Amino acid sequence: MSRIIGIDLGTTTSCVATLDDKNSPKTLVAADGERTTPSWVAWSATGQVSVGTRARRQAVTNPSATVYGAKRLIGRKVNAEDVAWFARLAPFRIVAAPNGDAWVRVHGQPISPQEIAAHILRRMRVIAEEALGEAVTRAVVTVPAYFDDAQRQATRDAGQIAGLDIIRILNEPTAAALAYGAHRTADGRKLVAVFDLGGGTFDISIMSVDNGIFEVLATGGDTALGGEDWDRRMLERIVDEVFDQYRIDLTGIPMAMSRLREACEAAKKTLSVDRETTITLPFLANDQHGAPINYERKITRELVEQLTKDLLDRLEAPCRRALADAGLEASEVEDVLLVGGMTRWPAVQASVEAIFGRKPSKGANPDEVVALGAAAYAGILAGDSDEAALLDVTPHDLGIKVGDSGFSVIIPRNSMLPVRARKLFATTTADQKFVTIDVYQGESDQLGKNRKLGQVVLDDLPPGPPGSVRVELVMTVDVESILSVTARELRTNRETSITIRPSGGLSQREIVEIINRRRQETSIVGKLPSEGGNIVRVTTREQAVVKPPDESSS
Amino acid sequence: MAGTALSIKLRCTSWQQLATIYRRDLSRGTMFLKASNQPAIGTVVRIDLELPSATVLELTGTITEHVVDPQRGTGVNLKLDPLPTKTVWLIESALAAGNKVRAQTQPGDTATPGDSTVAITEGENIAEAEGDLVRALESEAESLKKLNPFLVLGVGYETTDADVRAAFGELTKRYHPDRFARYQSTTLRQIAAEIFILIRDAYRKLADEASRAQVRATLGSKVQVPTRAQTQPRATPPRIPTQQVPKVPRASSEPKPDVPMLHGPHDAPTNPSSASAAIASTQLAKASDPVHVIERPAGNVKSGPVRAGAVVTAPMPSDKDPNPRRSITQATPIVAEDSSGLELLIDEGKLDEALAGYRVLVKKNSQDRSARAGVELVEGLKALTARDRLEAAQRFESALEIDPSNERAARELADMRRQATNERKGLLSRLMGKKEGPA
Repeated sequence: MSRIIGIDLGTTTSCVATLDDKNSPKTLVAADGERTTPSWVAWSATGQVSVGTRARRQAVTNPSATVYGAKRLIGRKVNAEDVAWFARLAPFRIVAAPNGDAWVRVHGQPISPQEIAAHILRRMRVIAEEALGEAVTRAVVTVPAYFDDAQRQATRDAGQIAGLDIIRILNEPTAAALAYGAHRTADGRKLVAVFDLGGGTFDISIMSVDNGIFEVLATGGDTALGGEDWDRRMLERIVDEVFDQYRIDLTGIPMAMSRLREACEAAKKTLSVDRETTITLPFLANDQHGAPINYERKITRELVEQLTKDLLDRLEAPCRRALADAGLEASEVEDVLLVGGMTRWPAVQASVEAIFGRKPSKGANPDEVVALGAAAYAGILAGDSDEAALLDVTPHDLGIKVGDSGFSVIIPRNSMLPVRARKLFATTTADQKFVTIDVYQGESDQLGKNRKLGQVVLDDLPPGPPGSVRVELVMTVDVESILSVTARELRTNRETSITIRPSGGLSQREIVEIINRRRQETSIVGKLPSEGGNIVRVTTREQAVVKPPDESSS
Repeated sequence: MAGTALSIKLRCTSWQQLATIYRRDLSRGTMFLKASNQPAIGTVVRIDLELPSATVLELTGTITEHVVDPQRGTGVNLKLDPLPTKTVWLIESALAAGNKVRAQTQPGDTATPGDSTVAITEGENIAEAEGDLVRALESEAESLKKLNPFLVLGVGYETTDADVRAAFGELTKRYHPDRFARYQSTTLRQIAAEIFILIRDAYRKLADEASRAQVRATLGSKVQVPTRAQTQPRATPPRIPTQQVPKVPRASSEPKPDVPMLHGPHDAPTNPSSASAAIASTQLAKASDPVHVIERPAGNVKSGPVRAGAVVTAPMPSDKDPNPRRSITQATPIVAEDSSGLELLIDEGKLDEALAGYRVLVKKNSQDRSARAGVELVEGLKALTARDRLEAAQRFESALEIDPSNERAARELADMRRQATNERKGLLSRLMGKKEGPA
């Protein structure tokens, strides 16, 4: 059996790790020495794909065909609020797929976020294969705890396109807690909070660690809050200043925006340590008279803190809510673990300290922690490590429609997986012939705000007065988050059941098409840059992963 | 090499020796021979290896180097020609037989616990071992379904939140489907998920004192069977503390792991192990460290007094009682009134007395199901003491059949099945480990 790698598929950067010979996780370093890979994918005019730093570097000259933040789009609808603001900000085009999913358009071609994520995953696999000197086919991939089933499944689909069998989707904070070794220091039960503020998402998880068992008590967060927002605030400020000064709207000049964004990010990193820095961007644009603008501006940490004060304020509410969900006071949390590059920002650390009333634990490198945890869990799955068992939870309430618009929860959110729950129902009319059970997922009392997953119909019910015929409903969610629902009439034992696999937006047929298309493309191109070396292997492996279209599931 | 071929006879006097040779030498395709005057490098050596069973195996090899090993002394290293599959099978099955002390009925079990690589057969072995594990898990799930939440978690009726969590933690580590992710069989994962759901439900029901009280209340009425009506308050104090840990640490914390028993209660062997075989198997168990790491429950479990485990391993003074009749007559008058007194006797390990007591009760009233079940239970416990697992399992099962509320029998059965599962899992891990080991 081959090795299983752990991949942190991040919004801004990704990282891959595995267990070394001593069974401790280590980051796999790319041939060029990079420990993390920017989650950027770019297409050249001739259709050649580049990934990572290479893609990011050419973004200045090719902003409309350079895609970043695809994780914000994966498994999402284009009309979702945060997708909309991302679309406004991004220099590439975000379009609606026929089913309403958010896709991007590059060189006139619509591309699904799954394909973009697949490019990144493939790159991570190549890094791992080069570092390890052996083929890699299986991975544990992390996602924010807030990801719903569609987003998780879309991530899995991306793996399939990349020829990687994603054997487990793991919550990022859970992986982080594992990497921090929270289970090793714990003497008896210990409550920890994982505070993960990365480039694109903010997650807070309240966990209990007990005898090597990680139990997620509650999760919360904000999928639209991260380090990029700090960059964006700086960027917006500078764009405004430039407009005031030169009457030039930089937002209309993609190249200037790309350069400015990178400069802001770099300045923010510097300001995590220093009190002030200078942004210098010669020839940023031309002013109204056609004269070049040589932009230079001194920026202080204070200014950035002032610009982002409201962002800091957005950290507290999810923490409080997660604590409330877990039924805990902040003071009961014994350790706060910091994850994500943005937690280097002093004001963020101060906020964490204010919220939880204790100094948070800082790791050596918060950017790699999640991948290390994923690798550790891969080791557990492979049987290499006996250290801990994680308990995953259902991200949403699962229930059924009752009456006209009521929602009755059968499996509450944050239930440990696998889980099974039963409920008895009685008929409401005399000689009722059949019952229809609509299965919904969501967190709202109002049915309309929740997502319908499927329907079970049980017919040929025995006759009888209202309430006399009883139907037992059994819902099971397995560790892969696959839901099965069975309805059984208790007198006749007649039953029907459905299995609902989460859908990530792409049907199995579409996934196979993407894989086949890529195979054709690669056979024409012959050799792709950067990932090209493995083409033959890639193709055969993808064949192995392709399953026959299974429309019943989607 | 045309040189003069050496011919050597090696006799293994014990299975342990064979196991050592196999592990240290044969499985690696090399062999160390002691020789004070070392033959030339390149000399071909023929070895007749005689097994304890008097079977002779032919091995050939070539001397590759002269060594002076501080531990093993002066000698030569042989590079062995690849062992014929048949030979490997022979050794393995011989070891397995010696190891398990059983008739060679089930080919499915014949995988050795050695840490060696046997490329040709391992695929089949793994498949078979998986099938075995599936069956063991299934029967375990079955017996867990019959238990109340306290028994599922293996905690006492008067337990604490922390103990419930600890028990849940241990069981989770063992049964969470992710623990079975490395095996090919998806069935394994499904059954593990079923078991985990049972464990989790039990955990949810017992997580805090209020819910425990509720469960106890429902049990109180359900457990309502003839003489057991009053057991509820009583059942708690005496055995609970003892009963707490057993399921978990049993496999590893017992002084003598029951390694020879590689099968479940159903197909258990009946002949008692010979001492040497037992040693050999213990050695083997040590040799295959990876397995033990996997099987070992975390060290931080407080091992309380091992209740049934003690019954199994410790020599029973009462067994050797030169005059059992007398002790029975002594015991009877106290006990016959009250079956709960008999349970105390069981707890104290006085099985013969307890048995006699139950028999008296049955004589009094042949309809007394709990007494009849008690007879079966004690017979089963006695069989366990004698290491006759098949008999024990059957006795426990019939005790349950007579009186489904006989918790003790249910627990013993569950424990036995759990152990069988663990052993199978260990076996499978070992086989899998083989595959990954040399890499």
